[in-house]
Amino acid sequence: MLKYIARRLLGMVPVLFGLSIVLFAFIHLLPGDPAAAILGQHATPDRVARLRAYLGLDLPLYEQYLRYLAGFLQGDFGESAITGRKFVDEFFVRFPATIELTAAALLFAVGIGIPLGRFAARHVQRWPDGMVTVVSLLGISIPIFVLGLTLQYIFAVRLGVLPASGRIDPRSHLDIQTNFIIIDSLLAGRLDVLLDGLSHLVLPAIALGSIPLAIITRITRAAVIDVQNEDYVRTARAKGLTERRIDDRHIMRNAWLPVVTVIGLQAGGLLAGAVLTETVFAWNGVGRWVVDSIHNRDYLIIQSAILFFALVFLTVNLLVDIGYAFLNPRIRYA
Amino acid sequence: MIRLRMGALLSAAAILFAACGQTTTSGAPSVAPGSVAPESVAPESQAPAVKEGGTLVAAMPGDISRSDSALIDDSNSSWVMNNVMEGLVGLKPGTTGEVIPVLAESWTISDDALSYTFKLRQNVKFHDGTDFNADAVKVNYDRWLNIPQAYIDAEYTYYMDTVLGHGDKSNLESVTVNSPTEIVLKLRAPNSAFLLTQTLVPFAIASPKALEDGKANDPDFTKNTYAQGGPTAMTGTGPFKFKEWIVGDHITVDKNPDYWDTTNAAHLDSVVFRIILDSTATLNALQTEGEVDIAQTISPIDAASAAGDPNLQAIDRGSSCNLFQLSMNQTHKPFDNLKIREAVAYAVNKQALVDAFYGGEAGAVVADNWMPVGTISYKPLDLPKYDPDKAKALIAESGVTDLSFEFWYPDTSRPYAPDIKGEFEALLSDLEAVGFKPTPKTAPFRPDYLANSSGGKYPAWVLGWTCDWQGPDNFLNTAFFGYRDRSDKTFGPNEEFGYKNDAMWDAMDKALKTTDPAEADQLWQQAQDLIRADMPTVPLVSSKPPAAAKAYVKGFVPAGNLTELMQTVWLDK
Repeated sequence: MLKYIARRLLGMVPVLFGLSIVLFAFIHLLPGDPAAAILGQHATPDRVARLRAYLGLDLPLYEQYLRYLAGFLQGDFGESAITGRKFVDEFFVRFPATIELTAAALLFAVGIGIPLGRFAARHVQRWPDGMVTVVSLLGISIPIFVLGLTLQYIFAVRLGVLPASGRIDPRSHLDIQTNFIIIDSLLAGRLDVLLDGLSHLVLPAIALGSIPLAIITRITRAAVIDVQNEDYVRTARAKGLTERRIDDRHIMRNAWLPVVTVIGLQAGGLLAGAVLTETVFAWNGVGRWVVDSIHNRDYLIIQSAILFFALVFLTVNLLVDIGYAFLNPRIRYA
Repeated sequence: MIRLRMGALLSAAAILFAACGQTTTSGAPSVAPGSVAPESVAPESQAPAVKEGGTLVAAMPGDISRSDSALIDDSNSSWVMNNVMEGLVGLKPGTTGEVIPVLAESWTISDDALSYTFKLRQNVKFHDGTDFNADAVKVNYDRWLNIPQAYIDAEYTYYMDTVLGHGDKSNLESVTVNSPTEIVLKLRAPNSAFLLTQTLVPFAIASPKALEDGKANDPDFTKNTYAQGGPTAMTGTGPFKFKEWIVGDHITVDKNPDYWDTTNAAHLDSVVFRIILDSTATLNALQTEGEVDIAQTISPIDAASAAGDPNLQAIDRGSSCNLFQLSMNQTHKPFDNLKIREAVAYAVNKQALVDAFYGGEAGAVVADNWMPVGTISYKPLDLPKYDPDKAKALIAESGVTDLSFEFWYPDTSRPYAPDIKGEFEALLSDLEAVGFKPTPKTAPFRPDYLANSSGGKYPAWVLGWTCDWQGPDNFLNTAFFGYRDRSDKTFGPNEEFGYKNDAMWDAMDKALKTTDPAEADQLWQQAQDLIRADMPTVPLVSSKPPAAAKAYVKGFVPAGNLTELMQTVWLDK
């Protein structure tokens, strides 16, 4: 197993290297001049030229790439052309917010999606199954933006039971250390802020988790239906095992594999940021920031952010693959 | 560009004299050469029932760009820092053109209008406890004149560039300390707008110790913690002091308990400027108990909702500093024909735009000039009103038969056009109704739309301008029709509009350079008349961006420049 992990980790290097070249090419294929984007209504020909020279945009493309690569290998992931701040400073202020939101959204999606999928599979082709299908379709059909604003309006504005936006009440004056609200509130011994932070997570987690919920529900349903018709399940029933034991020990153990794959894919995608949810709920994550960087042609930020997302995605998939070995002892990694 | 910049520097006597001549506000100090500025005009005193304390949460539509007041040029940064930093002079609250003494008690201007001698306030301390004095002022001005070239190249210094200049290109020849409470700023050439420009936030005075400790002059910007929210960031003398900046999330400022102007100390304990990008999310947060107390800008439609909500109040700013227009480029047919341009002006229904997209007169006014009401030297020009029949007649008279052209709009709404796509579609419909054949086109606002429109690639498009300061030079010259350095390295008409009128430019050029206020005013009027006759573009509306707040928020004094002071605000709960 360790050799397998080492091989996979080493394998990430050429993947990321190749991706950096492809990314660089695509970013520079984007139409528009970043200097003009930054200057906006203050753009004049000489200001644009001066800024392009400052940003190194007047250098040949290969030289720009090599400068970026040299910096990257030395741990310098570039600065924002807009703010002048280092990528790591900007990114790691926002990434904890994305991690918290992703975790909450996945908890919602998995915590409800798997039981719902199992429930539907046990009542396949009957009305409970139909109801679950409707819920799944709604989850996947309602645009996140619409869902988010609607949840905000109902639960925050009208009912006043949940906050409308942000990560905590700014009046709490929490001392921010790690940018993880849960950790910072525990470090400060502020249970009130911890509860406030958790309440702020509810609505954005539901909005963001609605699509993963629908997908996980459907995949779980399909996986369970596949497995529950297998011979060994019939044998287990014939042996007199309880349905609960059959469900847990025989059906779900084998149905987990495709479900875990989907959860891994969803986690990787969510960690890349959720621009719509972040916009509606004023959630200071990486999604909106990266999209703005694309609009502003902030080349170095786009490059470094997407490479980082790729690294996260590869890591999550590695963890999923390792997880297979625990779920299914027949799987062995050489 | 240097000519353009120097023109802007020398600009408008109009700005200064409009400050004197404005009828919209009272108590404008006289600042003509040789005069002495009056006593400080403090913000209006509060009613007796003012409640002290509390934290106010303000929603802002974007983040600040940097935490160094010298390196910002956006309205979000200006708003936050206007509450923390102070300059020698400021604007009377609620106005955009009335200069009042702040860190300077008074000043005199020499007869040749070159030397400004400021008498500084005593017993004022920066937030870090160090003394405010003439040496501190000199440190700041010297810093601005010698700002690291890397910051200039990175375009962090827009106002330094356009107002002050750098080194020997600066219009500021010297900064001389006479005593701890007296300093002299000497210009190379008269600039009657000088004092007004010094009210801008980038010219606020920062603690020299904080600048040094925060490496504010380090050519490597990544080491400059002063500008990146470090511990010494935004160290000024204002009624609030900087506490923290969580990038992309919020900025917190706390009350300054040692504020020098004890009669105008802040009532609030702190203000949290929260960043909320989406306008609907902003309204939802405002309507939710315990979230946001005031929203700096909301859409005009949401302002109507706020006005009807007993728990909220809509705030009418009363004035604006922007213009939204339908632009045409005369190097593209059919817009090389004056009658066609006039036909466009008669074809569009401006009042319908105001009613449908701005919530009526509370949100915007129909434009009757290329600059908004209240700008120095403004005059009503009796621009064409909606008359489709007249438009058709003009088209027939023009002799032009090919009425097809590309008509562009950006993918993002603007402060002066809250639903730019909707407004574009209304204009498109108006043009089609009189016989024009526009082909709608769109492009991303940054960078394509801005680059293409300013490069003269579009025949017709919609765009506007939000002023840097409220002077005719900023609209008519800087934004629109001033001659400038072009991409082909010649000096001439702005490529964006292809509008050539040497008499118009001559009038503007003279107005920018004269120090005789009456002459400047007359020249600006002349330029406006010439532009009116040529109708190079069609001014549509000037929006008045509304704000909204919870009903218990009191003491907020709105201003058209959106950089309101929060020291007068209190919470009646």
